[in-house]
Amino acid sequence: MNMNMVLQSLISGVFIGGILALPVMGVALIYGVTGILNYSIAVIGTFGVFVSWTLVGHGLLVAVLGGIAVSFGLGFGLQQFIFNPLIERKGNDLTLFFIVTFGVATIVAGFTKVVFARPTISFQLPGTKFLTLEGVPINSQRLLAVCIAIGFLVLIWIFQKTTRTGRSLRATSQNLRMAKLVGVNVFLVYAVVSGIGVFLAFVGAFFWGALYNVTVSTGWDLTFYGYIIAIVGGIGNVWGGMLAAIVMGEVIAFAGNTVGGSWQSVVVYAVLFLILVVAPRGLLGSERSI
Amino acid sequence: MAMLRRVARYLPSLVLLLVLLAVIPGGYPQWLAGYLVLFILQGYVAWLLFCKAGQQFYAYSATMTVGAYTTVVLEHYGIDHLVMEVVAGGVVAGVVAVAFFLSTSRARGFYAGIASFLLAILIPTVIQATTSVTGGQNGITVNGLNFTWGSTRYFVFIVVVVAAVVALLVWLSDTRVGRIFTLIADNEVLTEAAGIRTFNFKLLAYAIGGVVSGIGGGLYLNYFGSISSGDITVFTSVMIFFMPILGSRRSLYGPIIGACFLVLVPELFTSVEQYMDILMGTAYLVVMLFMQDGIVAGVANIIGRVRGTRRGGVCGGEKGFPAGDS
Repeated sequence: MNMNMVLQSLISGVFIGGILALPVMGVALIYGVTGILNYSIAVIGTFGVFVSWTLVGHGLLVAVLGGIAVSFGLGFGLQQFIFNPLIERKGNDLTLFFIVTFGVATIVAGFTKVVFARPTISFQLPGTKFLTLEGVPINSQRLLAVCIAIGFLVLIWIFQKTTRTGRSLRATSQNLRMAKLVGVNVFLVYAVVSGIGVFLAFVGAFFWGALYNVTVSTGWDLTFYGYIIAIVGGIGNVWGGMLAAIVMGEVIAFAGNTVGGSWQSVVVYAVLFLILVVAPRGLLGSERSI
Repeated sequence: MAMLRRVARYLPSLVLLLVLLAVIPGGYPQWLAGYLVLFILQGYVAWLLFCKAGQQFYAYSATMTVGAYTTVVLEHYGIDHLVMEVVAGGVVAGVVAVAFFLSTSRARGFYAGIASFLLAILIPTVIQATTSVTGGQNGITVNGLNFTWGSTRYFVFIVVVVAAVVALLVWLSDTRVGRIFTLIADNEVLTEAAGIRTFNFKLLAYAIGGVVSGIGGGLYLNYFGSISSGDITVFTSVMIFFMPILGSRRSLYGPIIGACFLVLVPELFTSVEQYMDILMGTAYLVVMLFMQDGIVAGVANIIGRVRGTRRGGVCGGEKGFPAGDS
């Protein structure tokens, strides 16, 4: 493997990691605040991408806004009307929410298959250019995806530091009982966070659609990747999730350029497994706050 | 009375033997009954590991696949004794389960769970990558017992074997080992403080679960006569994990009811196949929202309310059964 290929893999890995970081951040954010693992966010996000694809004829902005509205709305609505009542009755029962959110994901995936006749979609974002860095071509869309991922991380950090809702989020994740006592509407906070988490998954799936193809199974793939990487990073830890996503992006890129083919996936999952064996609480440890 | 209660605990095995009645119509009902029984076995593995011993293990498809492919490999190496191959598959799957436990024993809760999830995803990708040995996505065929013995004879064989294994697992749950599994699921720290080496018992749970699951995989392979990387996936693992929970964690019939629900519904409603995901997802939601202790417990509660009494435990199940969450 020569230097050019190493550089290419490094850059490619950052881009892949940047896209994967979005659903990972969604998972980490939702768990960090609500304490539940929502397995449906990437599938709902993918549904949002299909909605966007349907609206593309009305312009890219309308398509994106439509997808965002649907994704955020579904995430918010599901949390508010299904998950919150369950949390109130049963607490953060992980097994219960595994099945419930998996059920929601199955319904949404089924709905996507039934409603959208075309099983595979992709987007052509305008203004794709190829830049070069040390002779390595860089797709501007991938660069944009990474910038957006980092941008959202910064935005979320600013949001929770400077806004009232953001402070409510932090308060809820740090001490639920105290947050309730001081008047924070924790269930509304949960719903907002859920909406944001699904929105992040939508953005990740959208860029996946722009760079590759999107099918119904993309939602499941991003779900598995999102959860596994979020937990490898340290569940609930947004920074840990971001780091794990970048690490996994690099592993995917290097594995693709060295072993390639079917063995690429084997290497990726084997590395993830090894990380959990060596660091059983994830790369940066678990954190129930953002 | 106590004797009757003890015998009643083995009723699930007797219920399984009733499946033998499918021999009468033969054909598709018999095939479907055999398919169901194979998954009931896996459901009891999930019952043992998760509901009984409280272990966050989701790689049932991995152990099932290892068992199946070990059978394939041994047959291709000329070991012409299919029953021995199935048992060997179970042993290898048990070794894999134990190795997994040993490598992830420091992980707790969903970290251990996700590690097992990774194993469930990793095994099929390895199968897919090693096409020259396993056939990958195209699969590999064997002259299974279903063909050499005849479908009816093999069907009777698997029903009897599964019923016997289920009886064994029920018996195990009544022994000291089974009670320690329950203690570990309830409070591992307290169990350790009481002087019980929980590590050894967890290891035993993984070993037993792995062996039984691997044998199930070998039986599955012989039933279909072929296997590929797409046949047993992470979704299969999820389905197996759901079986005892949807059925009822607190009931010995839980895996049977859960398997009937998860295996039979998609098979019987093929006319609405395009809506199957929506139907199954809705079913998961309805059961979990309205019958959180599972279908058996939910139905028992309804019957109890109709009769005007509240019932705690359910038909032969343990009362005050720990939930198995960590």
